[in-house]
Amino acid sequence: MSDPAFLDVRSAEKRFDAARVLNGVDLAVAQGELVSLLGPSGCGKTTLLRIIAGLTSADAGSVRLDGEDIGRKPPHRRDVGVVFQSYALFPHLTVAENLAFGLKAKGAPATEIAPIVSRFLELVHMAPFADRSVKGLSGGQQQRVAVARALAVKPKLLLLDEPFSALDRKLRETMQIELRRLLRELGTTAIFVTHDQDEALILSDRIAVMNAGRIEQLDRPETIYNRPATAFALEFVGLSTRIRGTVTSYGPEGAVSIDTRFGTLSARGRFEPGSAVIVAVRPERISIGGSSGENRIAPTITDIVFQGARAQIHFETTDGLPILVEMSGALPGGLEPGAAVPLSFATADTMVYPA
Amino acid sequence: MQQPQFRIWWLAVPALGYLLIAYAAPLVYLLMRSVIRPEGVSLQLFSAFLSDDYNLRVIGNTLRIALLVTLLCLAIGYPVALALARARGIAQVLLLTAIILPLSIGVVVKAFAWQIVLRRDGAIAKFLVATGIWDEPKRLLFTEPGLVIGAANVFLPFMILPIYSVVRQIDPRLSEAGATLGASPLHRFRKIILPLTMPGLITGIAFVFSMSLSMFVIPSLLMGDRFQTLATLTGRSFLLMRNEALGSATAVVLLVLAVSVVVGSTWVSRRLMRGG
Repeated sequence: MSDPAFLDVRSAEKRFDAARVLNGVDLAVAQGELVSLLGPSGCGKTTLLRIIAGLTSADAGSVRLDGEDIGRKPPHRRDVGVVFQSYALFPHLTVAENLAFGLKAKGAPATEIAPIVSRFLELVHMAPFADRSVKGLSGGQQQRVAVARALAVKPKLLLLDEPFSALDRKLRETMQIELRRLLRELGTTAIFVTHDQDEALILSDRIAVMNAGRIEQLDRPETIYNRPATAFALEFVGLSTRIRGTVTSYGPEGAVSIDTRFGTLSARGRFEPGSAVIVAVRPERISIGGSSGENRIAPTITDIVFQGARAQIHFETTDGLPILVEMSGALPGGLEPGAAVPLSFATADTMVYPA
Repeated sequence: MQQPQFRIWWLAVPALGYLLIAYAAPLVYLLMRSVIRPEGVSLQLFSAFLSDDYNLRVIGNTLRIALLVTLLCLAIGYPVALALARARGIAQVLLLTAIILPLSIGVVVKAFAWQIVLRRDGAIAKFLVATGIWDEPKRLLFTEPGLVIGAANVFLPFMILPIYSVVRQIDPRLSEAGATLGASPLHRFRKIILPLTMPGLITGIAFVFSMSLSMFVIPSLLMGDRFQTLATLTGRSFLLMRNEALGSATAVVLLVLAVSVVVGSTWVSRRLMRGG
């Protein structure tokens, strides 16, 4: 990851009719890095992908890849591979012919094509299917062929548009791990588009959280989860309990005191007294028993969802605010719906956003 | 598995019955008339027909015109079908209407209209002189190019619609995938679009070729009596010359040509489908 801007997108803008789909997006990706564009449908992530691939033209902005301005180049001269959501395999060709398509298009001699095709078929475990028509393949097999086809031409950058959305959950997880291993092995630089936070967390070195045509935060998965930059990033990645309030005063060591329906909470952040804010806490940061943190609440349990290694405990305060707590290991005794249980969380574990 | 397949065949019974009475029976009668001669069963009629230079020229005329009409329809129709499949909303409706509506105008009316357009002072001659392609106005009416142009106009929808119905089912992502794999637009067309549209292309060619082989009104009105095709000769034999023997022979030769085109093209398209 020497060059910090192997792919360098600057102020990309796109509007379709009246709708602004991209609002000046900057994105820099290092060589060999795996980056996810994560966001809800309509946030512009697929448009950004298509602009990088040259399949959609940007209204403004620049795209540089490996030091070269590719913004004006047609897609077939960009060296940017794409794995489409629908896979877009050529139905009139066999599996091996699909893989050979790009190599033939680039004029590689047949003697070179055959070994490359076999090698990539091996890599995705599709060698026994080489001479099959792609029409009879299962979703997972089609996905492997689509990935192998895109990788066989050795693109400088691989773009994947919701590559797992057509697969069932069990298969999806296996394929995600497998794809990550394959891309690492080949040293491929790749960008995934996804609306699935788990997929983004599994696959990426860094995640770009997108909302309404902008990148709200571009960071490592841990940072996105532990320190979301905006309220949107907080809501979109992971679960949290959110409490509205007003800042009353500056507290010690970069903390503020916030007046809420549950009394005064102490939270980490710098806000002017008087500003309306949202205090958020991750479910695993709230502890049951109420002794370890500065902030205390005593709500009632509404439901306990056992999830194997973990359990989610749903609480509700008397005025109807839901609070989510997650515990791993054995549940302490006395936890059952209807029980009032004191909870606490530390100032250091809070996150504050303008409301 | 056998049972439902067998039962679904019954749906074809009305059509088969109709064809049997209205088409197959007269055809068999015609075939029998052409081989059962006063002296017994013989192919003498055909050997006589085929040994006459004039008749061979008529067969040549028929095949040449049908081929040229098919090629012209293909050259004009294929791009239109692609555009039609990519068009959206009102543009697509307008294009489709423009292609289908002329089918409601009778062939006789269209042929008379082309008589006017193809005259020495017709629109085409004027256009070609105005653009400097021709030095002086010439008559296209009663010439082979005039016939080909007029016939292509009548049969064009039968080329466009089968191709369109295939093209519209092609995922536009396929061409994009080709592009991201490094294929130029020409390469994408040759290796993706063309093979995938081949079944529609062959259907369109079979339609237009067999219809141009057997057209009667258009050559009668745009070429007149000096130029004969198998179809016009068949008509003349029965209607004017009262020569049923000649008429049967030309009709059977025409039938054999048309059937070989339809069977041949079906065979080719099935092979292409299986290869794909």
